[in-house]
Amino acid sequence: MSVALPIPLIQLLQVLTVAVGAPAVTGVIAKVEARLQGRRGPRVLQPYYDLAKLFRKEALAPEGASWFFLAAPVIAVAAYLTVPLLIPVLTSYPLPLGYMGDILGGGFLLSLASFVIATAALETGSPYAQLGSSRAKTFSAITEPVVLFVVFTVALLTGTDLPYALAATVRSNAGQIIRPAHLLASAALFMVILHETGRIPVETHTGTSEFGMIEEARAFEHSGPYFALLKWGSQLKQLILFTILSDVFLAPWGLAASQRIGAVALAIVALLAKATAVGCVVAVIDNSFAKLRLFKITEFVAGAFLLAVLGVFTLYLGGG
Amino acid sequence: MSLASAVQAAPGVYEGAANVIAAVMLLLEFGMLRQALARDQVRLYAAQSALISVLAIVIAADRNLPDLYALAGLSAALKVVGVPLVLRRLLGGAVGDEEAAGVAGSQTMSPATAVLAGIVLAAIGFFCFGALGIHGPAAPATALAIAAAMMLVAFGLMIVRRDVASQAIGFFSLENAISLAALVVAAGLPLILETAFLFDLLVAVVVFGMLIRGHHSRAESLSTADLTRLRG
Repeated sequence: MSVALPIPLIQLLQVLTVAVGAPAVTGVIAKVEARLQGRRGPRVLQPYYDLAKLFRKEALAPEGASWFFLAAPVIAVAAYLTVPLLIPVLTSYPLPLGYMGDILGGGFLLSLASFVIATAALETGSPYAQLGSSRAKTFSAITEPVVLFVVFTVALLTGTDLPYALAATVRSNAGQIIRPAHLLASAALFMVILHETGRIPVETHTGTSEFGMIEEARAFEHSGPYFALLKWGSQLKQLILFTILSDVFLAPWGLAASQRIGAVALAIVALLAKATAVGCVVAVIDNSFAKLRLFKITEFVAGAFLLAVLGVFTLYLGGG
Repeated sequence: MSLASAVQAAPGVYEGAANVIAAVMLLLEFGMLRQALARDQVRLYAAQSALISVLAIVIAADRNLPDLYALAGLSAALKVVGVPLVLRRLLGGAVGDEEAAGVAGSQTMSPATAVLAGIVLAAIGFFCFGALGIHGPAAPATALAIAAAMMLVAFGLMIVRRDVASQAIGFFSLENAISLAALVVAAGLPLILETAFLFDLLVAVVVFGMLIRGHHSRAESLSTADLTRLRG
C-alpha cells in the first residue's frame, strides 16, 4: 500500500472521480427520494444506462440553429471538467494546477457553462427553451451577490480566495468551524446550491410541467449525444457543488494527505460518501417542502443573501 | 478596519458558540420580520427566547456564574412558556380568524424588500457597536454587535407591520435583544436586578394586552390602519 502515485495522475484522478462518480450520486439521490416517498425507485445505476442509451441515439438540431447549438454542450462539459482541477477533490495539499484559478475562477467556469447552454437554448426558437434560459439568467443574476458575499467571507477568514486555503483553515482548529461567519456562509452556499442544482424549493427536479421549469427547460431541443452531454453536465455540476460544500466548507476531512495509493483510494470513497450524504439531505428537503411560486424565489434568495451578508458583518464589523 | 487585521485567529470554541447562538437569534428576528401569520411569529419568539436561556446556561457553565442558571430557568419559564401562552390566548380571544382581523397582509413592503431593509438596519447596528470594541466579562464583542443589530431589526419589525399583534411581538423581541446585550456586557449583574428587568416585561405584556383588546373592541380589527384618520 505504500506505492506513491505520481502527482499528474492524482490530478487526473480528481477529474475522473468527478466525471465517473457524478451519475452515481444522482442515482443515489433519486433512489433515496423514491424511498422517502414510499416508492421503490429506479436503480442506482440508472443514470449510467440513461447516458449510454442517449449516446447511442441519433442527434437532431432545429432548423436554423447554428454550429453553436451543437458546440454548447461540449463546451459546457469541458468547463465542468476543468473545475475539479481547481478545488480540493482528493488531496488536502494543493496540486500543481490547483492554483491555476481561485474560487472566482471556478465560479467563472461554472457560469460560462450555464451561459453557453442558455445561448444554445436561445438559438432553437423553441418558446420553452427560451423561457428556461431567460429565467435561468434572471435568477442566477440575483444569486450572484450571494456567491460574492460567500467569497468575501472566505477572503476575510483566510486572507486569500483559494479553496485549498479555506479547507486548511477549517481543519486547523475547532474554533474555526463554530465561527458564526463560517456557518452562515456555509448555509448561504447550501441555499445557492439548492438553487443551482434545480431542487425544491426552487424547481422541481423531475417534473414535466414546463411552467415551473428553469434549468430543466433549457435542454428541451437537444437530442442524442448532445442531450446526454447536457444531462451529464448537470450531474457533474451537482457533484462539483457538493464537493465544494463538503470538501471546502463543511467537512474537509478524509482527503489524502500524501501520494500513497491507499490514501488516494480512501479519499475517493470519502468524497463519494460525503457527496451522497449531502445528496440525502437534499432529498429530504425535496420531500419536505413545496415548490415556491416563481415570484417567491426572490424571497428564498433574499434569505440566502441575508445569511451571507450577516456572515461578512460578523467578521468585518463585529470582529468575530 | 483593513483586510489584514480582519483576518485573525478563530476566537475559540466558547466565543464561537456564544456568537452562533446570538446569530441564530438575529436570524429568528428576521424570520419574525417576514412571517405573515401572528401564530408563526409567536412561535419564532418562543424559539428566540429559548435560545437566550441556552446562551445564559452556556455562559454560566463556562464562566462559572451560578446566578445565571436561575436566570435562565426563570427567563425560560416566563418567555418560552408564559408570554407566548398569554399572547396566543389574547389573539385567540380577540379574534377567531386572524386573516379577517388584518394580521396577515399587514406588511407595508414585500418580504424580500423587508429583509433587505432589515439587512441595512443590521449593518448600522453592527457598524455602531462593532466599532466600539466593548469586551464584556462573559461574552464576546460580536454578540454585542449582533444584539445591537437585533434591536434595530426589532424596531424595523414594529415599523413595517400595520397590526398591533406584530408590533407587540416586535416589542417583546426587542426585550430579548436587550437581554442579549445585558448578558454580553454585564453577565455578573446581581440576580435581583436581572429579575427586575424580566418583570418589566410582564408589565409590558399586560399593557400590550390591554392595548390589543382595547383596539380590537373599538375597531374590530387588529390593523392599525384604522388609526390614521383623526376623529373629532
